[in-house]
Amino acid sequence: MAPHPGLSGGRLNRVYRWTRNLHLYVGLFMSPFLLIYAVSVILLNHPARPAAGQLPTRASETTVRITDQENSLDLAKDIRGQLGLTGEIGYVNRNRERQRLSFPIDLPGRKTVVRVDLATGGARIERTETGIGDAMNYLHKMPGPHNVAIRGNSLFMSAWRWLADATVYLVLFLSASGVYLWLVLKAERKAGLLVLGAGMATLVGLLMAIVP
Amino acid sequence: MTTRSVRRRYVGETRSALRHAGVRAVRIWNRRLHFYVGLYFLLFIWLFSISGLLLNHSQWSVAQFWDKREESSSVLEIRALSATADEAIAHELSQQLGVVGEVGRIERAENGRFRLQVNRPGRTLQIEADLAARSASVKEITVNAAGVLDALHRFTGVRVDDPKEQRDWLLTGLWSFAMDALAVGLGIMVLSGVYMWFRLRKNRRAGLVALSAGVVSCGFFVIGLTTLF
Repeated sequence: MAPHPGLSGGRLNRVYRWTRNLHLYVGLFMSPFLLIYAVSVILLNHPARPAAGQLPTRASETTVRITDQENSLDLAKDIRGQLGLTGEIGYVNRNRERQRLSFPIDLPGRKTVVRVDLATGGARIERTETGIGDAMNYLHKMPGPHNVAIRGNSLFMSAWRWLADATVYLVLFLSASGVYLWLVLKAERKAGLLVLGAGMATLVGLLMAIVP
Repeated sequence: MTTRSVRRRYVGETRSALRHAGVRAVRIWNRRLHFYVGLYFLLFIWLFSISGLLLNHSQWSVAQFWDKREESSSVLEIRALSATADEAIAHELSQQLGVVGEVGRIERAENGRFRLQVNRPGRTLQIEADLAARSASVKEITVNAAGVLDALHRFTGVRVDDPKEQRDWLLTGLWSFAMDALAVGLGIMVLSGVYMWFRLRKNRRAGLVALSAGVVSCGFFVIGLTTLF
């Protein structure tokens, strides 16, 4: 990649080249992640699809061995393992009086609800395929602020949590390096400043109107 | 050289020059589009990135807001309402109380009272009106900057699990439009960035590795998990 003609000095050229290459490769790696966040923003902003409760559900019944687990999440994990299911366990509802346990197991694009009779070991599994749009919405919202104490009980969610954080840090890097690469282009500074100012004015105006 | 062959050569060179000029213009405008869109949305990107990070780390002390909320209550007199439908009552009640914001949950309590929640990022008003006694208690909950960021990130006025719910405040619509515009802007930046990379022959191979790594890791989460398990 040729150094930018507007720069002088070998060191500055090296900084420019490194920044530009990093911006390019990090941006390319992040492209699909950014598209997923962008598409899911539109989907979340304009919900028109049938909700998960209205989609066809496949149910099956089986028996599981109930282990002596005091912790409800540990019991749910044990049952998840016995059923051979993969996914993130959501809120675990355990009714000790009625000897019932129910919990969702989520994967992007699939929702499974497990209901267990703790007295007999009878388990009912209801599986709903929610589709690619819901998968993107789910990933957009995960790990999220809810069920913090149990979030990350599956390997995929631990990995996604790491990737979601990485997405934020890398987007911040992309925007900062992008600003540097724009500032180097002297010919585009004035127009760029106007556009930056217009964006700032839009956001500040909106915030002043919306936030009391 | 005949006149015809000279003309053919001239036409050929002109076409080639025009094509090159066209490609160059596309390249220049594509690059401008990439950084102008990026600059316009710069602060929006920072806002949603930082608020997203806080949402994913609600245990961080800097992200705490609900425990630090401030509440105040007041009881106000109201006039008799002409509306009968719940949404219309909510609208009329909000007008009488001088309350503006996105109307959230509306419900009739068991004691016959009319409950309504009006939201703005950073402030929630919980209104409970006794329509027969013509009075309304208003509970105001305000949160700190982390709470405002949290609300701004999610302030759409609609819910995926309830497609019937609609935005009823003009500014919620404007904020949602800004979110849509940011999403479209991100799409433009991604596509224009990919085009710029594709024009750089020297960086094609390394770029392809980076892009493929992104597509594979992202695809694994979006479609791979349900396909494999």
